[in-house]
Amino acid sequence: MTFLIRQTLIYAVPLMVVALAGVFAERSGIINLALEGIMIFGAFIGVLFVNIVQQAGGFSQAKAGGNWIALQGFAFLAMLVAAVAGAVFSLLLSFASVNLKADQTIGGTALNLMAPALVLFFIRIIANQNVLNMAGGDAPSWFMLRKTNLGFSRTDDLGFFGETFFNQVYLATYVCVILFVVLSVILYRTRFGLRLRSCGENPQAADSLGINVYKMRYAGTTISGALAGMGGFVYALTTANCSSTGEVAGFGFLALAVMIFGNWKPLNIAGAALLFGLFKCIAASYASIDINGDGVCLLASAGISPHLYRMLPYIITLVVLAFTSKKSRAPKAEGIPYDKGQR
Amino acid sequence: MKKLFAMLLAMAMVFSLAACSNNAGTPVNGNTNDPNQIEDNPTSSDGKYEIAMITDVGDLKDGSFNEGTWNGVKLYAASNSKTYKYYKPANGNEATDDDRYNAYIAAIDGGAKVIVAPGFLQEGAMRKAAIEHPEVNFVFIDGGAIQEKATEYGADGAPLPNDSPVLTNVAGILFQEEQCGYLAGYAVVKEGFTKLGFSGGGGGTNPACCRYGYGYVQGANAAAAEMNVNVDMRYSWQYGSSYSASPELQSMVQGWYSNGTEIVFACGGNMFQSITAAASANEGSVIGVDVDQSAQSDTVVTSAMKDLAQSVNFALDKHFSDKWADIGGQSTSLGAKDDSVGLPTASWSMKNYTVEEYEKLLAGIKDGSVAVDADFANLEQSYSNLTLTIE
Repeated sequence: MTFLIRQTLIYAVPLMVVALAGVFAERSGIINLALEGIMIFGAFIGVLFVNIVQQAGGFSQAKAGGNWIALQGFAFLAMLVAAVAGAVFSLLLSFASVNLKADQTIGGTALNLMAPALVLFFIRIIANQNVLNMAGGDAPSWFMLRKTNLGFSRTDDLGFFGETFFNQVYLATYVCVILFVVLSVILYRTRFGLRLRSCGENPQAADSLGINVYKMRYAGTTISGALAGMGGFVYALTTANCSSTGEVAGFGFLALAVMIFGNWKPLNIAGAALLFGLFKCIAASYASIDINGDGVCLLASAGISPHLYRMLPYIITLVVLAFTSKKSRAPKAEGIPYDKGQR
Repeated sequence: MKKLFAMLLAMAMVFSLAACSNNAGTPVNGNTNDPNQIEDNPTSSDGKYEIAMITDVGDLKDGSFNEGTWNGVKLYAASNSKTYKYYKPANGNEATDDDRYNAYIAAIDGGAKVIVAPGFLQEGAMRKAAIEHPEVNFVFIDGGAIQEKATEYGADGAPLPNDSPVLTNVAGILFQEEQCGYLAGYAVVKEGFTKLGFSGGGGGTNPACCRYGYGYVQGANAAAAEMNVNVDMRYSWQYGSSYSASPELQSMVQGWYSNGTEIVFACGGNMFQSITAAASANEGSVIGVDVDQSAQSDTVVTSAMKDLAQSVNFALDKHFSDKWADIGGQSTSLGAKDDSVGLPTASWSMKNYTVEEYEKLLAGIKDGSVAVDADFANLEQSYSNLTLTIE
């Protein structure tokens, strides 16, 4: 059970954050199809940052001395760098769709096509192959929080709650959860959030009340880019051993699906992300999931073909979308370039 | 103005990234014994490169099979003042025979006299290139000699007779991986591990990985029988078809470790990344493959090695000293008797199982008193002291 919750969180958190990234862009009226591309770019810059800092010898003392607080700071810094990279990358989309009034779907698709190619191009130059790894060591030994960090020994039992939430977890997971809550509150409970949302529903009305729609759309897309870039790096850190390969296994598109399934509302999105995370986890490790802790892995001994488990995340996506998409309501003005003259 | 700004922004992004590229260049011909000090992308004065290397799938710097071979190429070239270049087939892990063939032709156009090709997937492309270019020699690592026509299989799966001539410009080099797999399995059980895992690459179609795995099972069983204990082994080819790291593989192995597995044999290039990440998270252990991988992660207890660099050196030496006929058109099989497989004794980290005991066992394999079955079709049998769970 502990394992199941931990793994589910690891898959769900990047999805959740990136889906929220989509919400910020779409609520401001810009369709951000480029989530996948921004994730790829953010992951690459984050990993590159870790790689360069490691090569320069930074934090190697902290690693050798077991100073885990400094290492967590390092991870946080890398997340920040990835977020900045994502924000900068998303400026391309905002510029095209706000200033040039270009078709947002095409702009996003262009970024999606560009990001993997660009990233692979640089990885090939830097690493002479298709994957950029950390300069040394592995992600868990550098960045994972374990109970040994918190002063317990390996054999101590922290109880169910402690084992699940304080052993073998990444700080990134909690940073993302906190960010998710804070940003959701901002979106619904502040003046800025209200203005942002109004630009996605009826920009002309918003403008008539003195809100600068262009600025709001830039803000929405930039926040979106920062979140997606960070989500990309968190994905690389927690599931790909802090390596960048010019892909994030379609998580950006999955996040779009989660956003639509969550009806552009943060709470629903969190639920949807957890659902997908759970099924991703079951698909990959059905043979090791022991729900009630009696040593029997029910799913493995049920005699069901493993292929069925591996199909589950996709089947669930299809089924759930088929049932919920009827009710889904996108922001009204999304995808329409704002034209001041049009009333 | 805004347009100009955006242009500048875009340009700045591109160039700031380009500035990060790694230009650490060391002289190509500097004699050195450390492959990491030798340039990966040398430039020759005439733009021709005598030695070419082409991988099948997977990455060059996989810290394992491809990198071990590449190190052999670099070491030979550096100490013999040869020019060398690496060509990667298009389409990465989905590279087809056509992609590999194009890489061969690119290498030959680039002046290659001898091509080192690690990976058993190379056969189809190599056959085509070798027939068209009899003047170029091919070193086929992990593959046997090639005939002009591919062997066809009858309806019952048995090979049909194939009397087409053997290509003399191809030298096959095979390893007896079952022997080092055996050594590794034996060693870790003697060390005290009782819950083992095996995660292999190639989806069960790569003979080298199959031999590693089957040898590992036999070694573990033999040690368990001697110690009169029972060991469990989880054995999987899942998520390994392209020898690459993946979140799914990491989750799967995380599951193994959190369910009690103590050590996993990471048998396939970059899969190592996912498996060490999972091991490190759970403070478990890993067995490396092909080369000594202990420097890459603290979780590595030992590695089942085959001496790729030495075999490349051996084959390239035959080419450049005009003794190609010794190995051309043949399958050279290297094993314990040639000191080509084993465990790394220099970085020995096991405490309960000593280097002396290891060397005794190795001697036993050399003189044949310890027999290791290489026919991996026999994997699914009942073992005296080992429970095998194939997933």
